[in-house]
Amino acid sequence: MSFEPKILGFLCNWCSYAGADLAGVSRVQYPPNIRVIRVMCSGRVDPMFIFKALQVGADGVIVMGCHIGDCHYLEGNYEAVNKFAMTKKFLELIGLDNRIRLEWVSASEGTRYGAVVTEFTEYIKSLGPNPAKTDNTILNKLKAVDVAAATERMRSLVGRQRKITEQENVYGEKVPLEEFNAIFDGAIKDEYERAEIFLALEDKNKSVKELAKELDIDPSIVLEHLLILKQRMQVDFGEIIENTPIFVRM
Amino acid sequence: MSEKSVIIIGAGIAGIQAALDLGDMGIKVHLVEKQSCIGGRMAQLDKTFPTLDCSICILAPKLSECYRHKNITLYTLSEVQKVEGSAGNFTVEVLKHPRYIKEGVCTNCGDCGVICPVRGVTNFFDADLATQSAAQIAFPAAVPPTYRINPEVCLYLNYGICGLCYNNCGADAIDFSMKESVLTLDNVGSIIIATGLDLAEDIHGLNVYGYHKYANVITAMELERLICASGPQDGHLSRLSDGKHPHKIAMLQCIDSRTQKGQQYCSSICCMYTTKEAIVAYEHDNTLETYVFYIDMRAGGKGFQKFLRRGAEEYNIKYIKSKISHIEVDDNDNPIITYDDLETGKVKQMTVDLAVLATCIIPSRSIEKLSKILGVNLNKYEYVDTNPFLPVETSVDGIFTCGCAREPMDIPRSVAEASGAAARAAEIIKGG
Amino acid sequence: MSEEEKTEEEIRVGVFICHCGSNIGGYIDCKEVAERAKKLPNVVFTQDNLYTCSETGLAQIKNGIKEHNLNRIVVASCTPRTHEPLFRSCIEEAGLNPYLFNFVNIRDQNTWVHQKHTAEAFDKANELVKMGTAKASRLEALDKIIVDATPTALVIGGGISGITSALNLANQGFETHLVEKEAELGGNLRNLNRLFPTDQSASELLDGLKQKVSSNSKLTVYTSARVKSIEGFVGNYEIEVDQGGTVKELKIGIIIVAVGAVPFIPTGLLGYDGQKSITQNELEAKLKAGEAIPKNIVMVQCVGSRIEERKYCSSVCCMTALKNALAIKEKNPDANITILFRDLYTPGTHYEDYYRRTREAGVVFVEYAPEKMPALEGDKVKVHNEFLGEDILIPCDLLVLSVPLVSNDDNKDLAQMLKVPLEENGFFLEAHVKLRPMDFATDGVFVCGSAKWPVDITEAITQGYAAGSRASTIISHKTLEVEGATSSLPDYNRSLCTGCEVCITVCPYKAINKDENDEIVILQVLCKGCGVCGATCTNHAIVIRHFTDEQILSEILAFGGE
Repeated sequence: MSFEPKILGFLCNWCSYAGADLAGVSRVQYPPNIRVIRVMCSGRVDPMFIFKALQVGADGVIVMGCHIGDCHYLEGNYEAVNKFAMTKKFLELIGLDNRIRLEWVSASEGTRYGAVVTEFTEYIKSLGPNPAKTDNTILNKLKAVDVAAATERMRSLVGRQRKITEQENVYGEKVPLEEFNAIFDGAIKDEYERAEIFLALEDKNKSVKELAKELDIDPSIVLEHLLILKQRMQVDFGEIIENTPIFVRM
Repeated sequence: MSEKSVIIIGAGIAGIQAALDLGDMGIKVHLVEKQSCIGGRMAQLDKTFPTLDCSICILAPKLSECYRHKNITLYTLSEVQKVEGSAGNFTVEVLKHPRYIKEGVCTNCGDCGVICPVRGVTNFFDADLATQSAAQIAFPAAVPPTYRINPEVCLYLNYGICGLCYNNCGADAIDFSMKESVLTLDNVGSIIIATGLDLAEDIHGLNVYGYHKYANVITAMELERLICASGPQDGHLSRLSDGKHPHKIAMLQCIDSRTQKGQQYCSSICCMYTTKEAIVAYEHDNTLETYVFYIDMRAGGKGFQKFLRRGAEEYNIKYIKSKISHIEVDDNDNPIITYDDLETGKVKQMTVDLAVLATCIIPSRSIEKLSKILGVNLNKYEYVDTNPFLPVETSVDGIFTCGCAREPMDIPRSVAEASGAAARAAEIIKGG
Repeated sequence: MSEEEKTEEEIRVGVFICHCGSNIGGYIDCKEVAERAKKLPNVVFTQDNLYTCSETGLAQIKNGIKEHNLNRIVVASCTPRTHEPLFRSCIEEAGLNPYLFNFVNIRDQNTWVHQKHTAEAFDKANELVKMGTAKASRLEALDKIIVDATPTALVIGGGISGITSALNLANQGFETHLVEKEAELGGNLRNLNRLFPTDQSASELLDGLKQKVSSNSKLTVYTSARVKSIEGFVGNYEIEVDQGGTVKELKIGIIIVAVGAVPFIPTGLLGYDGQKSITQNELEAKLKAGEAIPKNIVMVQCVGSRIEERKYCSSVCCMTALKNALAIKEKNPDANITILFRDLYTPGTHYEDYYRRTREAGVVFVEYAPEKMPALEGDKVKVHNEFLGEDILIPCDLLVLSVPLVSNDDNKDLAQMLKVPLEENGFFLEAHVKLRPMDFATDGVFVCGSAKWPVDITEAITQGYAAGSRASTIISHKTLEVEGATSSLPDYNRSLCTGCEVCITVCPYKAINKDENDEIVILQVLCKGCGVCGATCTNHAIVIRHFTDEQILSEILAFGGE
């Protein structure tokens, strides 16, 4: 039996859900793989929803909203763009970024909805099943990405992105997008590594050396991350064995 | 001193919309309907143009809202029989025909319809293409959700025999002792006429087109019921002569309209609804070819031109500018259409499996009597006479009109006009 | 009737699977879907109905609630976008809070679109019901928010439709404000000579209306004025009107958009030069001014409309041409008038009669096909006629082009201010073409006349009344109920809030502030429930009611098979 992908769609009530209904009214036919969760705005789609979906077995996740400029809530879809970009950057670290998609479908685009769903389903089918379903290493990486994206730092950055780059930061400076992205991309890498470290301490308390070897990260960087995690009260020193501190999860 | 109310005569989509608007404004509404259920013509349609919405799907919530609205009282199987007074203070007599089944008690289970021995009663709702018994309901989702006993054919009411329904009704809802009753409604501020439309075939034989002569020449309304998913053929279109699926259909525009021999005016909606019907039929069978024979294609409403283009590009519909001469049939009952092809100037013939007549819509037959009771003028076409720049006002102060009672028009216009009539009626009630 | 709050009690879910006649039932086994739903967590009752939205179906839901003590209801049928309010009202009538209802779409997004894959559609229906039931189990009772409604109206645009609307509202007793950007009221009516189908004088009609407007004590008119800003929401707008530099602040309950449309200028088409090749509007100006009209007139229909760039039919141009043709014939019975057309748009009773009159007056009608547009060649017009199979040369002293009405350039700005959409031709897009033709999806704003789609005077008038009626359903009441599914920062989450203010940054409606104690406050009446703040909040302190993280995650987990 050939692989039939499980597709999860988040559709905004006013545009894409209406477009999907119009596809129905117009009897536009498309593959039956998609399951839809209705939200009021594409901006409601929290990155954690996408990570969760991939963790529970979605082969593809598609977020649909109103065309830019046409959001029923004015700017919600701009926020959706930024959240989705962050989600994608995190998934790039673990090779799952091609399994998510952001598309704009308006209330009058019934035919387009069918076309988008058809194309996405066929694309995901060509990729094969989500490896996180069978490969525990990848599943664990997915969990790390979920944890990383959920940090206050990442959520704060992505939430302030538009304000900082289009208006001003708290110092009254407008930060150019490239500069912002440089900081942002650095943060993504850092938080992911921190999340990996945090999750690696779940089964057993470990030393810097052990963590560095297990996760293939430079030991001095591991130490830096651990100190930040200690600041955040997520880890602490456990015991010291032969001059080597062992870290423990809080 | 009770508050002023509005009486709306006719509970099709226009009457319903006006009732809902006025009810939402806090004004009491009496909605009078001659049939046993509300919804009018729109309930008979499968889909509506140009959105191809399922008609009953968008209508049903409005029917329910009307039925449950605290400011709207429904009178079905009723008609206005007398009006006195003037704008701001009418007194209206409503004659209520007996349903013989108690509203509110009947659970709409349908047992009476099944057990009734009288069969073959034609159902107006299905354009007389289906039959039912003497205990009947117009369609399953009808509002009010109550059966009725048809006194013209009921054995008990005519001959004093049978009574099976009465003996078997689980809810004890049957009451043969019901009689006609007259209600007097006073302190009526204004009246809205929303009696809607009937069809040309109700008054003319259409012989030259072979209607009622050849089984495979049908009217648009009949086609509508046949392609309707909840109609007599469940939407699987079959010819009435031999049950075969037609693969080549002709739609003939302007039947009995724009002609000295019938109605002189344009029926407005047929150009659009034939494309709609062709699209719906094509969805059931995509080997279908449809030919629309037309004089002028009239599609000026929002999204209408796009709709016609879709028909031509995606649904195998071909439009032929023409004038129809007559219809005959061959040995297999296939209609042969003789027509003047206006693009080439030649007289041609086309043989098809099914010919559909887009017949002219006419004002409801009840308007003649009603206009006399209300004292409103009708124009020469028997539509309620209005001034184009005072479009919802009749010749009588305080009596308004809207929708197809006034002029042939489609659903969006009827809905807008109904709100318009409600606005004028509200001025009288609220403005004082 | 008080609502029984059962949120602390055992969750008892009732699931109703609709056949929708054969729209769903004809493709999948609804009975079986209902059977399988019985096994879902928290489900205590399931049923399949023929038409759940019918009176019978609604009664079955109410019965189910009573008999089985249900406190969460799931209906699987068509789409929440049309039927959610109906089912919410239904369960409210049965004593449940209306927000304890969830809708599962197994028709528009299932059976209708997977017609050749009924087995998969069946599986999909079951899974969607599972997801919908998971969410329903976690729904909470919500209260609607009640706000005052200001009984005043603002009409933007003082053409025939706007005037009609404004007069109607004023006559109903509402304080009404009419804003017009030009120095005079009337819109396109000011430029017209006569009006079809009665040939009544346009200025007579307009003068009559102006009289009514000026003598109406409840109606205030602002000419040479524009709407500068719009704040607030239905029933509670704060609007600034700029009249030549002076800004007036108004408290408004509802807004009606009646900004009309403008005639297209056919630059580059059929030798348009405003002299020998003019538009119908320009012809009417000449007729109105009593200018001499030359003998040989050719009119061309559908210039700039029903073409690739502008696919629509503007509906008024055919009658306009006939009207002007008759006006010319009246002045000069010897005039030779030829109208070149594709399809003549004269629907209904009055207009068909008018067409007949025009033919009887001797106006000649020649059909042309859009692939072979007529052309002006010197003092003749060349047109190809399919019927004859030849080109015809028609003597032409004056070529009159019937052009469509097109949307105003500034519709975009107004649409942005009002947060309402435009369709592809720039006209305002109503909530639903058939059943809500005067409403916008946004509450409190309505539209009428050519701002929505080109219409003739009759329809502009009825639509003006209609908008008045629709608006009145809102401002006829002292208070308004606002949806309860808004964003909130509940007390039990206060400790999670770090005061980072990122929510304030992202709210499109400026509905979030900090109060004098530096605590985050979400203004319920301004909140539209988009949920962006919830998706952004750095600590998940904000709860988006009816679309909470927990509810959505439960749908995701159910999707995953849990």
